[in-house]
Amino acid sequence: MRLSFLLPLLIVLPLLTAFLIPLIDILAIALRKILVIISISLELVFSLSLLFYFSPLGKEKLPISYYLGGWEPPLGISLSLNHLGLIFSMLVSVSLFLITLYSLEYIEHHEGKYYVLLFVVLGAMQGVVLTNDLFNLYVFIELLTVASTPLVAFDRTSSAIEAGIKYIVYGLLGGLFFFIGIVLIYLSLGTLSLAEIALSFSSLPIPFQETVLIFFIISLTIKLGIFPFHFWLAKAHSSAPAPISALLSGVMLKLYLCVFLRLFWVVLDFPLMEASWLKSFVLYLALGSSLLGHLFAFQEEDLKRLLAFSSVGHIGIIVAVLLVNTPEALYGGMLHIINHLIMKSALFLDSGYFLQFTKSHLIKDLKGVFHYNRYLFASFVIVVLAMIGIPPLNGFFSKWYMLLAFVEEGIHLGGIVVILGSLLAIPYYFRVISYGISPCEEKPVVSLSQDPPPASLMIFTILALVVLTVVTGIFYFCLNPILDGAVQELLPLQIYPPFPGGS
Amino acid sequence: MNQLFFLSLFLLGFIGMLLNRNLIKLIIGFEIMEASVLLWFISFTNQGGNPPIYLLDKPGMVLNDPLPQALALTAIVIAASNIALFLTLVIELSRYHKASDVDKIKGLRD
Amino acid sequence: MKIFLLLVLFSGIGFLLIDNLRFLSNSGFSLGAATHYYVTQGFEQTGALNLVSSILYDFRAFDSLGESTVIFAAVSGIVSLLSRKTLPVSSHGLSIIVKRIFGILTPFLFVSGIYLILHGHLSPGGGFQGGVILGTISIVFCIVYGSSFDYTRYSPQSKTILEVSGALLFLAMGIIGIFLEGFFLANWFSSPERLGKLLTPGSIFGINLGVGIKIGAGLSIIFYSIIQKRIEGK
Repeated sequence: MRLSFLLPLLIVLPLLTAFLIPLIDILAIALRKILVIISISLELVFSLSLLFYFSPLGKEKLPISYYLGGWEPPLGISLSLNHLGLIFSMLVSVSLFLITLYSLEYIEHHEGKYYVLLFVVLGAMQGVVLTNDLFNLYVFIELLTVASTPLVAFDRTSSAIEAGIKYIVYGLLGGLFFFIGIVLIYLSLGTLSLAEIALSFSSLPIPFQETVLIFFIISLTIKLGIFPFHFWLAKAHSSAPAPISALLSGVMLKLYLCVFLRLFWVVLDFPLMEASWLKSFVLYLALGSSLLGHLFAFQEEDLKRLLAFSSVGHIGIIVAVLLVNTPEALYGGMLHIINHLIMKSALFLDSGYFLQFTKSHLIKDLKGVFHYNRYLFASFVIVVLAMIGIPPLNGFFSKWYMLLAFVEEGIHLGGIVVILGSLLAIPYYFRVISYGISPCEEKPVVSLSQDPPPASLMIFTILALVVLTVVTGIFYFCLNPILDGAVQELLPLQIYPPFPGGS
Repeated sequence: MNQLFFLSLFLLGFIGMLLNRNLIKLIIGFEIMEASVLLWFISFTNQGGNPPIYLLDKPGMVLNDPLPQALALTAIVIAASNIALFLTLVIELSRYHKASDVDKIKGLRD
Repeated sequence: MKIFLLLVLFSGIGFLLIDNLRFLSNSGFSLGAATHYYVTQGFEQTGALNLVSSILYDFRAFDSLGESTVIFAAVSGIVSLLSRKTLPVSSHGLSIIVKRIFGILTPFLFVSGIYLILHGHLSPGGGFQGGVILGTISIVFCIVYGSSFDYTRYSPQSKTILEVSGALLFLAMGIIGIFLEGFFLANWFSSPERLGKLLTPGSIFGINLGVGIKIGAGLSIIFYSIIQKRIEGK
């Protein structure tokens, strides 16, 4: 209870910053950068202190909760933090910290509005992770959509605007289906608190439960960009500015995965879903979507679209492995959530640095671009190797656990998709690298003799992410206490065999 | 019977959203869907009581459930800001394409 | 092919909803525990006779904070998308009759908007509805007097300051709640004898005011960003 005051603070601090930025813009525009840096650092400090207190060092016990307005759960809204929430809250804080630092040098116009929207997105993300009320969850999901749409269309080129329109239409549809699910639950159960729904949901008749599940599944497949609805994702993620691409593809998709985990495992009746056709349907849909994503990435000519389609592939495989629902599968899935967040953010930020020097995002225009900064080129190669799954790096371990989980449960198609995904990733990433290092014949946009623009913060962010890639690869077992806690929360209370990697 | 009306309204909006190729008409279809869901929500929780405003001189009145009304109010405001953002994007798009037809704009076709 | 997929989805959703409606109308709707509390004791606990207000600004005030932020984000997004070097386009509006009549009507419109905001905890209405009326006034200004009328008198900066101060008032009410009651967004209403009066102690009054200012200014900013036309070639 002592620490629970941090929970509303994590949400309100970014919102307060967002409200203050327009005021600062009018009064003293020079202070804006300072405010942004202070606020994002405070957010990181709060989040890391939560992590410290709940790690084995800090000896505090999860879960904690906070009643907003002093009203207990059925009456008001409460926030709560468990292991799952701790992982995602920390991931959001760390990645948003790095993305904000990167943006300080990358964004050149409309900075004020950009940071307003970025901080609203940060607050909404923490809200999605922490809230314990179904309708509040809807409000924060819509807040994410509203705040990220202008960011997608931020460049205001033709393709960015089209991407924004697509993004908001799919976002609206997903939100509407989510709302229908909420209405159905409220009309039948008379409550909105997640804990109460979890208690009484299984008392409803089974066809009705399935209907509610279907509405939430439609909503989340739209938000996650799984197969029938994956078109918006590549367009939106590739047309946005680089930090926003990293935000959408790296962080926001993981956040919807968090919603997916919380809704279907904790709140709605997972045994029912497991018993009916829904589980295997979504599982094979996600596997197909994964394969399709990698195939699309394979034939893609545009670097950012390639990365976005690769995200489709990875999200599909994560959804599939989570639905296998053994401890190993959940462990592998969550490890891959963390790793994919780090790797994809690093790739988008890295490519964002290099694409500043090219005339288009096409791979064939990348010629010689890696000569601008050899260190960043090396980091790009390291992250690509991690993405493919080369042993000492982080991608390998999560892919390995996912593979094991699929094979143990006898879903061999899943194992095949994991391996095929890695195999397909080799040629499409190496095509990028080979174009990047080949000596350029034409004159590039910025000549090589001229110094590239100063970008120390950008380089620092990318290198930090690469260091994280290596560290989470070699020391991935340091995450085990939290991951095991999260896996335990998701499983029904039964004795399961010991976890991979030991606990 | 009432509910079938809202259902048909919902499906009408859905058809309108899926089959219309004009961006503005598409969003009107969406609005119809949203409105039908809200109407259904509010009307279903109406139990024939009074509006949920407590009168001090008439204690003990039967009041309707206030929560769906509050939720609907929130949902309306959210939908309104979404639509405003959407229309802004359409205005921006008109700088590049003199059409609001989905099929005529290459990037929106699928 | 695509139409076929959509029709399958469509008929599936229709079928599901019909199925639901049958179940729901058979089982009927009954008040949940929380709703029962709202209806029977909500007004005594919060000091708001309008139970919808008591839910929006006290029991579920966090939703309203999120909702105000949605509008705030939409305003920021629209301004960032539409801000170019623009000028208001025209200064001639409708005929003199309309102008004069609207000149007489404006104070009344304004008062009714303010009334809805201030009486949000007593009667139907509240911050959102009143704020929308305030925003409408500035829109009607544009229609009746031409778009430069409002623009020259109230600059976008002052509207932004109004909007932000509304949002900050909301947050300030939440923070005062921490000091008085120990919880963020807690209502410090504690005097039943003031129930039903306009100046009820408690946060609902302040939050209503903040939301009203914010929505009014926000809608006005959205409208004026959208109608601005680009001056080509300058």
